[in-house]
Amino acid sequence: MAYSEKVLDHYENPRNVGSMDKNDPSVATGMVGAPACGDVMKLQLKISDDGIIEDAKFKTYGCGSAIASSSLVTEWVKGKSIEEAGKIKNTAIAEELALPPVKIHCSILAEDAIKAAIEDYKSKQSK
Amino acid sequence: MNYFQLFNIEVSFDVDLQQLSSNYQTLQKTVHPDKFVHASEQEQRIAVQKSAHINDAYQILKNPLQRAQYMLVQRGVEMPNEQHSFQDTSFLMRQMDLREMLEDVKHSADVDAALLEVQSVLSAEYLTLSQLMRAQISENNAASNSVACDNLRKLKFYQKLNVEVDRLEDSLLDD
Repeated sequence: MAYSEKVLDHYENPRNVGSMDKNDPSVATGMVGAPACGDVMKLQLKISDDGIIEDAKFKTYGCGSAIASSSLVTEWVKGKSIEEAGKIKNTAIAEELALPPVKIHCSILAEDAIKAAIEDYKSKQSK
Repeated sequence: MNYFQLFNIEVSFDVDLQQLSSNYQTLQKTVHPDKFVHASEQEQRIAVQKSAHINDAYQILKNPLQRAQYMLVQRGVEMPNEQHSFQDTSFLMRQMDLREMLEDVKHSADVDAALLEVQSVLSAEYLTLSQLMRAQISENNAASNSVACDNLRKLKFYQKLNVEVDRLEDSLLDD
């Protein structure tokens, strides 16, 4: 199966690969996985006091589409408020990367990673 | 007729693989194309379909994770959609660590020792989880079936890791 040019670009030059300190109160960590293919995705967001995402990092073990989806998401969320980031839909990710139907679950994983990170941030804030 | 009945074995997670294999072969002989050389086209077609069905059933019962999944589905346990992402954070953190450990193997001073180390860690964790799942499947109530289902999903991550380990092993042999 051929990957789209955008997937290949993110796969070969992934943006924002890395890790942040998950114990830092301003860092939100979203961990998600897909049992069917064994993919594991970690998305971390550095969030300012007024709720703006200042930085994003990811680490993904999975196929090219999963890596590209998470790489793209780190670019998209930077500068957004957590509310705006929470509205990013997998369909937009799939469309941007021209993912074939069998790879749609990779974009779902990336959307779920954002949501999981926001959940983590909210639970940290309420402590 | 469920797959266990098909092979005339007890419905249980603990399958005697030798018996399964011999019953499988006996059953396949009954639908072998040689037996249908003089049969009608329709009978031949049915025999081919039966043979495929027997083969599917055998593949599922032979593999512990597929067998577990089959048993849980037969019990009416609702398996989460495969597209549904898994969000047990501490489990996934561990999966990340294991994948990083595997990634480090090729950069280690003693590659063979590092690979063995990863393999032994993985098989120990797999064994613990699969024994847990086995006990939960044999307990067979709503609560135990539901946790068995969670553990089955976890075991699939290990299954994937084992594929990666084999791939790495092959690539090391090629060097």
